[in-house]
Amino acid sequence: MRTLRNLQGPALILALLCALWLIVIVGLLALKPSVFNLGTVTTILQFSTILALVGLGQGMVILAGGTGIDLSVGGAVSLSAIIAMLSLKLGLPPVLLPAVCILAGAALGALNGLLVNGLALLPFIATLGTFFVYSGVALAVTGGAAQSGVPGWLLVWGRGVVAGIPLPFLTLAIPCFALASLALMATAWGRWIYAMGFNERSARLVGIPVDRVRFILYALSGALAGAAGLVSLAWLGSGRPNIGQNLELESLTAAMLGGIAITGGRGGVGGVFAAVLLLVTLKTGLLQLNINTVWQVGIVGALLVFVLLADRLSQRWRS
Amino acid sequence: MLVACLLAIAIFSVASPHYATPGNAVTVLRNSVELLLIGLGMTLLLAMGGIDVSIGIVMGLAAIAIGRILGADGSPYVALVAGPLVGALLGCVTAAVVVQGRVPAIVGTLGLLGVYRTAVFALLGGQWLSGLPSSLTDLLATTVLGIPVPALVIAVAYLTVWLALRRTPYGLHLLAIGNSEEKARLSGIPVIKVRFLTFVISGVLTGIAATFYVATYRNVEMSIGSTSALDAIAAVILGGTSILGGRCSLLGTVLGVLLLRILQNGLLLIGVPSLWQPVVTGVLIIGVLGFEAVSNRLPLTRFQRARA
Repeated sequence: MRTLRNLQGPALILALLCALWLIVIVGLLALKPSVFNLGTVTTILQFSTILALVGLGQGMVILAGGTGIDLSVGGAVSLSAIIAMLSLKLGLPPVLLPAVCILAGAALGALNGLLVNGLALLPFIATLGTFFVYSGVALAVTGGAAQSGVPGWLLVWGRGVVAGIPLPFLTLAIPCFALASLALMATAWGRWIYAMGFNERSARLVGIPVDRVRFILYALSGALAGAAGLVSLAWLGSGRPNIGQNLELESLTAAMLGGIAITGGRGGVGGVFAAVLLLVTLKTGLLQLNINTVWQVGIVGALLVFVLLADRLSQRWRS
Repeated sequence: MLVACLLAIAIFSVASPHYATPGNAVTVLRNSVELLLIGLGMTLLLAMGGIDVSIGIVMGLAAIAIGRILGADGSPYVALVAGPLVGALLGCVTAAVVVQGRVPAIVGTLGLLGVYRTAVFALLGGQWLSGLPSSLTDLLATTVLGIPVPALVIAVAYLTVWLALRRTPYGLHLLAIGNSEEKARLSGIPVIKVRFLTFVISGVLTGIAATFYVATYRNVEMSIGSTSALDAIAAVILGGTSILGGRCSLLGTVLGVLLLRILQNGLLLIGVPSLWQPVVTGVLIIGVLGFEAVSNRLPLTRFQRARA
């Protein structure tokens, strides 16, 4: 107990997440021992890839403070996947599909950045608006129908497994998190992000290009959403207009669970990574227990509220 | 705003022969009842610098409670009380999380949205609540002095809120919190109490909206209220209430709701698929806010130019 109390910040959060994770796994094992095999691990990591990419963007946007939040991530995932598939139908060379998908996401994110920076709209209301625009357009242009015709070589990547680990997780999610955590800890940009999240006014006064950093972070969040859309294409073999459903809630929960303060300036991406694995394990477990998917939304939502309240309580308890 | 409403009506009348009919006008007004009540609560929340994205599903939960009472052949008068009561209770829950827990309203209510949605599913068990007895409908379909009950209730609600805003300390406190919560706290305004109360008021109004919903449609479906929160936010913003808080217009909200419903109804009649509705609403929100931001900035630059 004393060691636990001595832990602080990221280490404490990681310890708590691991404990929660173990509870989930033990609970599942008790309820249904047949769940755990290599296949389940692969499935969990496959689902994790999409949430991890989106959660990373969400986490970075929140970290930079200024009431930053990106509620449009789910819509951006769906719409970038649909844009990529539609441009393929319009005669785009298949080789360019990944690039178009990620660029489309980046453009959607850049639009958020413009609204937040250029027009100085509150991030939550601007991205709430774009969330409905993006997800609505994705549904409306396709009439809700999945867009098939993903090239075969992309499926090889999307469905490939090396030693039980899906290729997209290995080649996209892990490098992205490694790069982001390196950038946050070892580059000036990373320091800037923490500084502006901690106190934007002083960050401006010491000459940090706050607006430019914020714009790039929104665009980055969009690009990561585009990458998540690409993973969904390569894995499922078709562009589904509702693939990003509930991702705004899940990515927020992952970021908060991962120890990023909602006010910005505190937390890291390692916690987000662990939180994503925890969330997806929980979701997959519920799925294996034949619990209706509607329950997942409620459980994730309850987790989000719980984490936010726990964060406040622990602050009051310490001070 | 009024001009925009009339303009929209004129355009759609030309575009669709079915538009400018008395029947359709009644439909538009009928469809506005719930949103007018939810929008009133949302006006207060936004003016206070808050927001509630779970409000549509709160209406759903209140509607389920009403439906269950009616379904068990309960008295329509009990059902009449049940709606606002459930709304107030859920308003307390939301306020406990957002206000007492000091959680940003958008994140807190987004989490609650997930919880409430699951609750709707769990309570309905994947089935519609349909074929409800008409006792509540009959009760609310009457007219008092020639005015339909819904119109009367809405008028009373708006008048009460208007009086509270303009003639009581509560209104002054609410707008002060919207301007700057920190300054409001420092000047001794009971910030927590005022914010808590506002979330409860919004819940009660939503509960009343649920009563009218059940009375009109006599069923409760799984997707009930899924777009209400967005519609309400859009209508309030269209009506000129500042999302930055501190300024609100009740008449603006009424016109905003009507304009939104006129637009949605008109687009449907000229053959735009309903899938486009959230897109239109989202574009409206961003468009209005963007316009406001740009027009706020222009005089400032001119002023700066004059000084230079």
